[in-house]
Amino acid sequence: MRTRNRLMLIVIVIGGALIGSLALTTISSSSEGPVTGAMDRLGSAFGSFEHAMRGRFQGPGRSAGLKWFDGYRNSVERLKRPDGVLLGAFDSGIPGTLDGVVALEHSIGTTFPLVQIYMAWGDRPDEDFPVGLATAISDVGSVPVVTWEPWLSDFANDKHPQIPLRDQRDRHGMAAVASGEYDFYIDVWALGAARFGKPIFVRFGHEMNDPYRYPWGPQNNTNIEFIAAWKHVVDRFRRDGANNVLWVWSPHVAYRYWETYYPGNDYVDWVATGALNFGPIAQWSSWWSFQEIFGQKYPALASFGKPVMVAEFGSLAVGGNRATWYRDALDNITSKYPQVHALLFFNVKNDQTVTYQKVDWKIDGDSAVLRAIRPALSRWAPSNQQAVR
Amino acid sequence: MADWWFRASHVSQPFLFALLSLAFWYGISRVVLGWINYAAMAKPVDREAPTGYRVAIFLTSTPGEPLSMFEKTLDACNRVSYPHATYLLDDTRDERFAELSRRFGATHLELIGLPGAKAGKINHALELTSEEFVLVLDPDHIPFPEFFDRVLGHFDDSEVGFVQVAQAYYNQSRSFTARGAAEQTYAFYGPGQMGLHGHGAAVVIGANCTFRRAALISIGGHGVGLAEDLVTAIRLHAAGWKSVYVPEVLSRGLVPEDLGSFFRQQLKWSRGVYEVVFAELPRAISSLRWRQLLSYLTIGTYYFFGVTTLIYLVFPYLYLWTGYQPASMRFTEFIGETAPVAAIGLAIYFYVQRWLCDRSTETGVNWRGITLKLACWPVFLAGTMLAIVRAEIPYLPTAKQAVKGRFLKLAWPSLLLIAVYLVTVAHVIGSRMLSTPEASLELSSEAVWGMLAFATLPVLIACPAVYAAWQSRLVPSTAPWDSVDVSSIGGQ
Repeated sequence: MRTRNRLMLIVIVIGGALIGSLALTTISSSSEGPVTGAMDRLGSAFGSFEHAMRGRFQGPGRSAGLKWFDGYRNSVERLKRPDGVLLGAFDSGIPGTLDGVVALEHSIGTTFPLVQIYMAWGDRPDEDFPVGLATAISDVGSVPVVTWEPWLSDFANDKHPQIPLRDQRDRHGMAAVASGEYDFYIDVWALGAARFGKPIFVRFGHEMNDPYRYPWGPQNNTNIEFIAAWKHVVDRFRRDGANNVLWVWSPHVAYRYWETYYPGNDYVDWVATGALNFGPIAQWSSWWSFQEIFGQKYPALASFGKPVMVAEFGSLAVGGNRATWYRDALDNITSKYPQVHALLFFNVKNDQTVTYQKVDWKIDGDSAVLRAIRPALSRWAPSNQQAVR
Repeated sequence: MADWWFRASHVSQPFLFALLSLAFWYGISRVVLGWINYAAMAKPVDREAPTGYRVAIFLTSTPGEPLSMFEKTLDACNRVSYPHATYLLDDTRDERFAELSRRFGATHLELIGLPGAKAGKINHALELTSEEFVLVLDPDHIPFPEFFDRVLGHFDDSEVGFVQVAQAYYNQSRSFTARGAAEQTYAFYGPGQMGLHGHGAAVVIGANCTFRRAALISIGGHGVGLAEDLVTAIRLHAAGWKSVYVPEVLSRGLVPEDLGSFFRQQLKWSRGVYEVVFAELPRAISSLRWRQLLSYLTIGTYYFFGVTTLIYLVFPYLYLWTGYQPASMRFTEFIGETAPVAAIGLAIYFYVQRWLCDRSTETGVNWRGITLKLACWPVFLAGTMLAIVRAEIPYLPTAKQAVKGRFLKLAWPSLLLIAVYLVTVAHVIGSRMLSTPEASLELSSEAVWGMLAFATLPVLIACPAVYAAWQSRLVPSTAPWDSVDVSSIGGQ
């Protein structure tokens, strides 16, 4: 009798293990594996716990500088109509660490309510909804801004036989997104966002009107197709319960016809654009002030009636006075551009996305620039007002 | 999985990554080789022993071995039912051994001053005797009366050179070490050897192997050296002799009861097995069939485990103290990728337990054996190093009776590991609560605690080994064979 019980147990264990592992491999081929997904959530929950323990020893930490932001942090509605300008940054230490963000904060004397991260579409585990990173940003007091790039070529055909072959995929790729071909990915990401629960900005398919940069641009897609894709993505998120997402529409205003890519007031919460001064480093560029890059387009951006975000803000050092560039941009920004409610520093070392040589956007070490930024921020940045009080 | 492992993005320190890859893929290959072996699992058909074979039992004694043990063994040899002659190959120069032989009807052969230890005596005794079949019995192994009736039938195929039977023990309940050491052998003497048998490469074990005299003569006698049994098996297979493995318990012997004896036995084997790989196998390579070759390579690389374990042990600490990471793969990803292999491996582990020799006692999670194997890694490592520098270690029979061991001498590797672990845990908690910047705390959480989890497993496994060393400080007051009743053994 005992022997028979043992044999039964063994059969059950083997059967369970086999069925389980088969199920695992089939599920994980269609999307990211459930084991990895659950482990990700477990890992981030543990990270949160560890952060809370640290708080017991060392007090509240960074979030103490963001007390004024408490009313916003968990309210999608307030983040759609903020008072003042929400500062933020992307730093090239992300996703490994937020240390670079904090170092920039220290050097310019503020605490950012927003932290930007860049995510690509694809099969890899780091192309899932970034639950660990979003939780870490949230635990130190800020709200994540995810620039979400639909790189369709990052999906493997052996896992997704229904989508076109890799080299044909970008052609009218946005039409394919609109028709639901990529819902397998969109839904998993949306459910991850919904499970995260707290407000999160998503800047989807940015610079969609730039015909040179990204495969989701006009070289492969019409504006009608892009708008259809945008609406489809937003509809999937709403259907999946991810109502905590704020949708940031972000064209490249240096190229024409960008207004024709607007998906409509019901599908957009924020309007954004980049304002990066490359100076004379690239042949298509010269030293342009913030007013020239952004200010001239501001009225058109503001005309949509949405809050405006400067999603990538920065100037290189070569070809002009960098400190003056920052001072001119930041002085009186609230009165000159009253609808600008967010400004994200582009704090990237060794950026090679546009130019052939690596360029350095970092300002931490440029004392003239820091001396120009500090007084400007102290006049209007909410974190600095809190510090003064 | 190789596609996943060898992604360029995973390599963060090329040299360390190469080492880790070596350790990881060694582990995977052991699992796969095990499956290949199990795939061939076969059990020979029962054959009745014909009458009229001339059969001998060779029993060896060396100075210092206890007389009372021989009393039991010779008594049991005398009771083996198939007609046979028993020879005691003796170099103790102790008159009482000769007297004992006479009492139980055995022939006493005084063989003093021969080179080659046990094998030397066997080879000389072959010249002095004439029986067609020879059972080489270790003196601690008490044969059952039906021993030859279960074995001799397989020699009716004139190409069969030797018949090996399972090994089992009567003293395994006497200490943690004995139990663990016995558990380690369960799978080998069941599905393991049956697989080797299926591949045509059943291995001589040194005890309980019955040889055809002509086979031994054809290879110039029994092999000599630390792994004399393995050498003999390879030479016989290379000479074209077939082997048979009978997965039945037909005798019970002794397994080391104290950790020191166990370590010495394992050192001897690990050193010896490498000798076989480096010296014996290259010579036999052309005359072995590829399945036999694969089987011997599998056996020959077993003790490399000592090296890979060191790699696994060191890496988490390297990361936790210096931040050096051999592979930049995420902990959760690692678990996700290896879980299916682990699940299948576990399933097969339980599945093959159906073929264990003694299912009623050997089934289950043999955790003592696993912990003892892991505690052996410094011994395996030493064996590997000794083989590389070609250092000789003397051939000594494994101790028959527990030897009193010094706790620290036996347990220091495990204790050192536990101490380093505790200091590391304190360091990690302290630095993360007090000095790690808030902005990098959460994003490094998974990596740091994942590494600590890796470091925790070997520490948990080391604890039973410390217990085994602690127990080895004391020696039981009775000899293990005192309680054996020769008249009632066997016939199971």
